[in-house]
Amino acid sequence: MTSISESSRPANGSRVDLPAGGGDTSVSSPPRRRRRGLGWAERLEIVALTGPATIVFLAFVMFPVAMAAYYGFFRWEGYGVPTDFIGFQNYITIIKDPIFHDALKHNAFIVVMSLVLQGPAALLLALLMNRKMRGQSVIRVLIFVPYVISEVVVGTGWSLMLQSAGAVNDALEKIGLGFLANEWLSDPDIAIWTLMLIITWKYIGFAVIIFLAGLQGIPQEIYEAAQIDGASYWQIQRRITLPLLGPTIRIWAFLSMIGSLQLFDLVYIIWGQYIASTAGTSTMATYMVSYGRNAGSFGYGNAVAVVLFLISLVCALTYQRFVLRRDTEGAVTGGAR
Amino acid sequence: MRIRKALAAASAALLLTAGLAACGGDDGNGGSTGGNGGGEGEEKEPVTMTFWHNATTGPGKAFWEDTVAAFQEEYPHVTIDIQSIQNEELDGKLQTALNAGDAPDIFMQRGGGKMAAMVRAGQLMDITDLISDETKELIPEGSFAANSLGGKVYAMPVAVLPGGIWYSKDLFAQAGIDETPTTIDELNDAVAKLKDAGIQPIALGAKDAWPAAHWYYFFALRACSPETLEAAGQEMNFDDPCWVEAAENLKAFADTEPFNEGFLTTSAQQGAGSSAGLLANHQAAMELMGAWNPGVIASLTPDEQPLPDLDWFPFPEVPGGEGEPGSILGGVDGYSCSAQAPREECGAFLNFIARTEVQENYYRAFSAPTVNVESQKIIEEPYLQSVLEAYNAAPYVSQWLDTVYGQNVGNALNVAVVDMLAGKRDAAGIVEAVKDAAARG
Amino acid sequence: MAATSVAPPLARKRRPPRQHGAQRRANAAVYAVAVLLIIVMLAPVAYIIIGGFRTNAEITTDPSGFPRVWQVGNYVDVLTGGVFWQQVLNSTIAAVTTTVAVVALGLMVSFAIARYNFRGRGALYALYAAGLMFPMTVAITPLYIMVRSIGLMNKLGGVILPQIAFALPVTVIILVPFLRAIPTELQEAAAIDGCSRLGFFWRMVLPLSLPGVITVGILAFIGSWNSYLLPLFILNDDAAYTLPLGVQAFASRYSVDTARVLAFTSLAMLPALAFFSLFERRIVGGLTGAVKG
Repeated sequence: MTSISESSRPANGSRVDLPAGGGDTSVSSPPRRRRRGLGWAERLEIVALTGPATIVFLAFVMFPVAMAAYYGFFRWEGYGVPTDFIGFQNYITIIKDPIFHDALKHNAFIVVMSLVLQGPAALLLALLMNRKMRGQSVIRVLIFVPYVISEVVVGTGWSLMLQSAGAVNDALEKIGLGFLANEWLSDPDIAIWTLMLIITWKYIGFAVIIFLAGLQGIPQEIYEAAQIDGASYWQIQRRITLPLLGPTIRIWAFLSMIGSLQLFDLVYIIWGQYIASTAGTSTMATYMVSYGRNAGSFGYGNAVAVVLFLISLVCALTYQRFVLRRDTEGAVTGGAR
Repeated sequence: MRIRKALAAASAALLLTAGLAACGGDDGNGGSTGGNGGGEGEEKEPVTMTFWHNATTGPGKAFWEDTVAAFQEEYPHVTIDIQSIQNEELDGKLQTALNAGDAPDIFMQRGGGKMAAMVRAGQLMDITDLISDETKELIPEGSFAANSLGGKVYAMPVAVLPGGIWYSKDLFAQAGIDETPTTIDELNDAVAKLKDAGIQPIALGAKDAWPAAHWYYFFALRACSPETLEAAGQEMNFDDPCWVEAAENLKAFADTEPFNEGFLTTSAQQGAGSSAGLLANHQAAMELMGAWNPGVIASLTPDEQPLPDLDWFPFPEVPGGEGEPGSILGGVDGYSCSAQAPREECGAFLNFIARTEVQENYYRAFSAPTVNVESQKIIEEPYLQSVLEAYNAAPYVSQWLDTVYGQNVGNALNVAVVDMLAGKRDAAGIVEAVKDAAARG
Repeated sequence: MAATSVAPPLARKRRPPRQHGAQRRANAAVYAVAVLLIIVMLAPVAYIIIGGFRTNAEITTDPSGFPRVWQVGNYVDVLTGGVFWQQVLNSTIAAVTTTVAVVALGLMVSFAIARYNFRGRGALYALYAAGLMFPMTVAITPLYIMVRSIGLMNKLGGVILPQIAFALPVTVIILVPFLRAIPTELQEAAAIDGCSRLGFFWRMVLPLSLPGVITVGILAFIGSWNSYLLPLFILNDDAAYTLPLGVQAFASRYSVDTARVLAFTSLAMLPALAFFSLFERRIVGGLTGAVKG
């Protein structure tokens, strides 16, 4: 678990070490009242400080997750306590269910396309905007607006706009692009792309802001030195900016990936509880709610939740191991040479 | 050493919460106060009940408000809190409330397997003994059958809502269709003529899944014998080849592309873009729907009045099946009392809504046939009369299959039908999906 | 880094206008792109807001047009109906309580992890970091069961407590570096002046880590305000609904009245937007700080 703690901090060359394995690092103790253990009063302080948060956290995060694993072994309609123990049967059903496979495929698609669509575009936009211009802060505020609005509002608004006789098709006709008008939400071949469009619209501002912040962390002198050496604009971006932005990009990609795996609100609001799968936009989370709670199969729903968690965990750990490792070796020298 | 203390504290918290959780979620709080409903004297303890129904618009909503007001006048010690819940949300909210032991006292009951699940969990009041003799004279026994289980009645039936095809006479005339189709081939012809006239033949609210599934239920009704249907309901057995045959018939029909554009995201009753709305605004010619449809359509027309050229014909016959010709699918809407509701007052309310005047008001508000035989006499609309005729003459009546099979299998069946219509599954896939659902449940 | 400053004086001369890197002047093309970007970002928002000013007939016949007459009726109806304000109140109570609790509890834990040295420190930090792996979606069903067993169904408390718990991982992960960055010399100086560790916390740590605290508070607030899944499971009564639930319920109940739905939806957006514009600098600044470490 320590690898998670090291790399999930938003890093960009921060030198602060973390207490991996409990070793002491930056907190060096003043000489007086120092013995190997801790003072009585100190221990009390520590308990008082960590107690409330940890109790709430364990009770409302850790415990439910453990309970989810427990309920997953039962067949249960939700009344009273579960009594029908069926072992791994739910998990086997999940693994064999083609509808779940579809949801998994959709999630994978969303993960990849989010990175592909948002990453380069946000990078270019950040580069573009990282220069003196009038109204720079206004622009930054405005592109962040979609991120602030709740997914429910976004879903409601977009689904009204994307109806067959809705604003989007109508606007396309008005500007003469009527042939592009489509069944944005109902056509199973297109629907997932529509979903990607909406997701990109909502979250690209977030990526741009993060990249902008990262860009501002790059010292000017490096650019000047490169200029002196006669590098062109694009060469500079490729050889200097991109690698230095590496840790930022990798952290953003991690957050994006985890968010994509957990996507629920948007899909549920726009496509409802029944047809997300038919429309080709179901996710593991909507599958869980549709076939768990809404079907009265609470044991099954919990098993899906556990599977969702395990998949996220595997992805996260793999990502940590192979991608974020570099960031702990130092932001300037390590990485993409 | 310290960590152990922290861990001990945490474990204590966990044990505490676990203990609370294990005590079972049964607080038995039906929202009623002063449940001393047994008093026969003049001084009765005030009783409050909560009441959930699914009429969120127009005359239907007003009907319930008026009825409750009238009831409260007659029983002054009773107060009823009404909540009107959108039809698509009702099942989910009810389920959550029942699970939490926080159920409303009076609520709409669809019957079938959904009711069976509630009975199994001990959530419904057995009202067999609460039905007054007066009520028994007005409501035929057959209507109680849909809301009974094991010989006990769990809900008061209110409306009988058989399914069939609602259509616009004007649009039919425009397309040159003279007679309503009686066989599936004639229906295909009608569809072709409508398409030639540039009219969307059939409105389908597939987003809510059950409207699409109704098509499958009817094809199954035509293909399967009544015994097969009964057996499937009891044992969840779908091995009979008639189920796949029904799916294939539906597929053949759907391949002629009779449904409106974008049917996948068309809802059934919500808004002018819903399937009922399409019919109300003459943007589609037909819709397969239960007998509540006239009321829903009336709320969606531009002037919010009933559609003047609306008419009805029963689902066409499909040759080669084992179903009895003339069979019909019909849900019976009823109202149940929760097990924790105040017995006498809840029973009184259920008998109240079975009275003739109330039933007549129901008919006027919802434009739907009621179960009370006296109130049926005032039905004017010719199409409702046709509906009742077909219903009374039917050799076999089944409830909507998703109601029969319960929430888990019912939902899966509905979604599977939508999948097939959208081209994601083949005909056999529907039966597979149902079997898979039974495994999940 | 030092090497570059020893460059020969010749290169110090400012080069002619063609500059690279961050100092490049924005030209017309850049402005055009920025404007285009803003249009794309805001068009849907504009649609929702403007839609509330139209009549249903207009929306049906001319979906993407402007109102002929600006109907204020829809907005007035929503604002004067009790439902909207009730839900705003619920959302506000939930969000404020969550934020205050998250900041308080998170600060306490992060302070302990950052500045005390005890054996389980790494494990505790790892515990919170692992919490990032548990989205609400995973825990929602058992959470719902637990909340109903302790009798908090339909109450805001049933929403607030889990939200606090789920906001703690991000909080701890952001705050620990902030708190750790405060130099120990400061702590030693304070100790020499007779200040206890907790006094040090109040007087020096809190003000110094304010940017991080504000970032964390804002994230917690927005997260709570926009949350949908948890209230969906826990709040069954209309009266207890928060704004996202309210938007969805309103949209389905009044689906006939598209204009009114749009009015409700755009009013539901306003609090979040207002909050964001008030704290915009902090949010962006906080994210910048978090990214830079």
